[in-house]
Amino acid sequence: MKHPIRHAVMIVVSVLMLLPFYWVIRTAITNDNIYAYPPHLLPRDPHPYNFVDVWYLIPFPRYLLNSVVVSVITVIGNLVLNAVAAYALTLPFVGRRAVLLLLLSCMLIPFQATIIPAYLITARLGLLNSYLGLALPMLSTIICIFIFKSAFESVPRSLIDAARIDGLGEWRIIARVLLPLSRPAIATNVVLAFIWSWNSFMWPLIITRDATMQTLPLGLARFLSYMEDTTGALYAFVVMVLAPGILVFLMAQSAFIRGLTAGATKG
Amino acid sequence: MTPSALLRPLPPGEGRGEGDTARPSPNPLPKGEGFLGRRRTRQSALIACFLLPSLAIFVLYRILPLFWNVVLSFQSWSPTRPAHFVGWDNYQDLWSYDDVFWQALTNTAIWIAAAPIAIILALAIALLVNSDLRGAAVYRTIVFLSYPLMTVAVGIIWRWMYDERGGLINWALRSAHLIDKPLGFLGSFDLALPSVLLTDIWQVIGFYMIVLLTGLQSIPPHLYEAARVDGVPAWARFLRITLPLLRPSLFLCAVIGLLNSFTSFDLVYIMTNGGPGHATELLITYIYKLGFGQTRFDAAAAVTVVQFLLLLVLTFLANRAAGGNAGAIEH
Amino acid sequence: MTWWRSRWVVVPTLLVLIVLGWNAYVWTHDGGRIEGTVIDARGHPVPGAEVILYARSFLTNDERARTQTDGSGHFRFAGNASHALQLQAQAPGLGRSDRITLRLLFAGEDTKLRRPLRLGAAS
Repeated sequence: MKHPIRHAVMIVVSVLMLLPFYWVIRTAITNDNIYAYPPHLLPRDPHPYNFVDVWYLIPFPRYLLNSVVVSVITVIGNLVLNAVAAYALTLPFVGRRAVLLLLLSCMLIPFQATIIPAYLITARLGLLNSYLGLALPMLSTIICIFIFKSAFESVPRSLIDAARIDGLGEWRIIARVLLPLSRPAIATNVVLAFIWSWNSFMWPLIITRDATMQTLPLGLARFLSYMEDTTGALYAFVVMVLAPGILVFLMAQSAFIRGLTAGATKG
Repeated sequence: MTPSALLRPLPPGEGRGEGDTARPSPNPLPKGEGFLGRRRTRQSALIACFLLPSLAIFVLYRILPLFWNVVLSFQSWSPTRPAHFVGWDNYQDLWSYDDVFWQALTNTAIWIAAAPIAIILALAIALLVNSDLRGAAVYRTIVFLSYPLMTVAVGIIWRWMYDERGGLINWALRSAHLIDKPLGFLGSFDLALPSVLLTDIWQVIGFYMIVLLTGLQSIPPHLYEAARVDGVPAWARFLRITLPLLRPSLFLCAVIGLLNSFTSFDLVYIMTNGGPGHATELLITYIYKLGFGQTRFDAAAAVTVVQFLLLLVLTFLANRAAGGNAGAIEH
Repeated sequence: MTWWRSRWVVVPTLLVLIVLGWNAYVWTHDGGRIEGTVIDARGHPVPGAEVILYARSFLTNDERARTQTDGSGHFRFAGNASHALQLQAQAPGLGRSDRITLRLLFAGEDTKLRRPLRLGAAS
């Protein structure tokens, strides 16, 4: 084997990166009092009953539903809004450069710098504690607009001109010509929007009032605060929450990584 | 997407008229349509329609809140009375009377200072993975796996790993006879912040690695070949070829690292909630507590403005350090 | 026609099949029947012993049902709706059994106790 040292180092690194996963899975399926010392490295009497407890004793299906609904709204909204905005940015119009600069400067404003007024605005709109209110701030993202813009601009001009000469309206041009040729951009947008929405914790924390509108991260945090039991139920909950995210990530790896580094290679 | 991609200086010869960028300008309208031709105005209306929803969201949830924060920070806000202008009072209170603010500021500064450590580690990993190692893709996936996870879940996992009784870390340290009694990592005034930082590094190192890996892979290999033929030693190749050409990627990592200290709310909230005392309080957790714990929106707005200014200044400095122009390479 | 081989079709389809299969299994096995036997300290089945069923949540155990063993020491519960139970048997003069915990894979799973409840074990 070439480079045995490098492999050795990378294996150590991999073990360190994977250790927390193993530890939480082991805790979730073990039958011990999890606080017993010394903790066993391998699970003793493994059983899946902690997962059953989590399913029945906390509203996991409800949290899952809320997270899924908000994520679906976010993904669909993102695709539509970002695609049309990106297309508009590929056309010439008065003030185009100003709009571009505006968008770039918006990228510098992190969400955390806006939470208090965003809360007040959402309250004024009457969208507190609602699915739309949860999804609204993330309904369009600048990074994804630029990804679409790059993808649209790399479509050969002749195709678009031909479509225009054929009399296709602008919307049709997007749907029939540009989008089918920009599949990587669509995939990246879907994956990024889904992950950001699925994982978001601070905004739902601020916006939701009822326990029935809480999303998975909130449910997890709530469980943490009122349950101090000695079983592995909390960690079974963690495993159940992480599983969909990991599955989606493993399936969509290339689109995800491509989306995150879309600028780095062009920089 | 780096700002550099879009703010790169125009190649000479271009740049006429509004709406031009470094790319060839979009196809002009077919001849015969005047500037005020029907088609042009209809297209303009359509463009406005297309842009409006996205712009509305950005205005509503980015620009407007930023300005509202600035305004709020100069007012005294109360849920019962209308807000009134009080000048610099909020900032004065922060500066002179608010110890928690200074603690949070210090902690945030420490957090930012830890970013280069993570970036260097990620660079090492990226270099290892980039070489023609068999199974590099597997290593890459394993290292990156931690990044897209829910931060709340990561916080809970690591909180458990730091636990005094059932935690892996204490058990490993005791088994290696490095310590006698379990350390209360998250309950100790000294160890809490480094512990949470370690978790954050664990989660974010995958992202740095991917960015640096992409940067590494875009370096043309013939540069290395030429240097090797010229007899340049490996360390010099690294310093003279790799590092300079990695500047855009390093800048991107630096910006992400900066933002990370401002956005790590989830992790701190779950693991320690700013405690013990305020040992792990970050600016962002303090903003949340002021705003939604004490309902002092005016003080929270002031801290937000301070945080944002800090971010701007540091980004500007990082830009300068990366050679200006967001680290883009000038040919 | 290779669109169906993409991972975005195969994996969700597999998941849907697993979910459907599991639901079918649950549907056919959720009568809520719990069966078991009660024996005394010497191993003889005890007719007429009382068996109490408790439903477990994270913090509490609530009594839900009682039944009596038949002539050969067997008992049956029907209509159990919980996924985690405790069972305890008692008979006058013969004492009580340990309270054993029974965890099921889903609420109302039909189960048979593997070991009989032994009287006289608890204090």
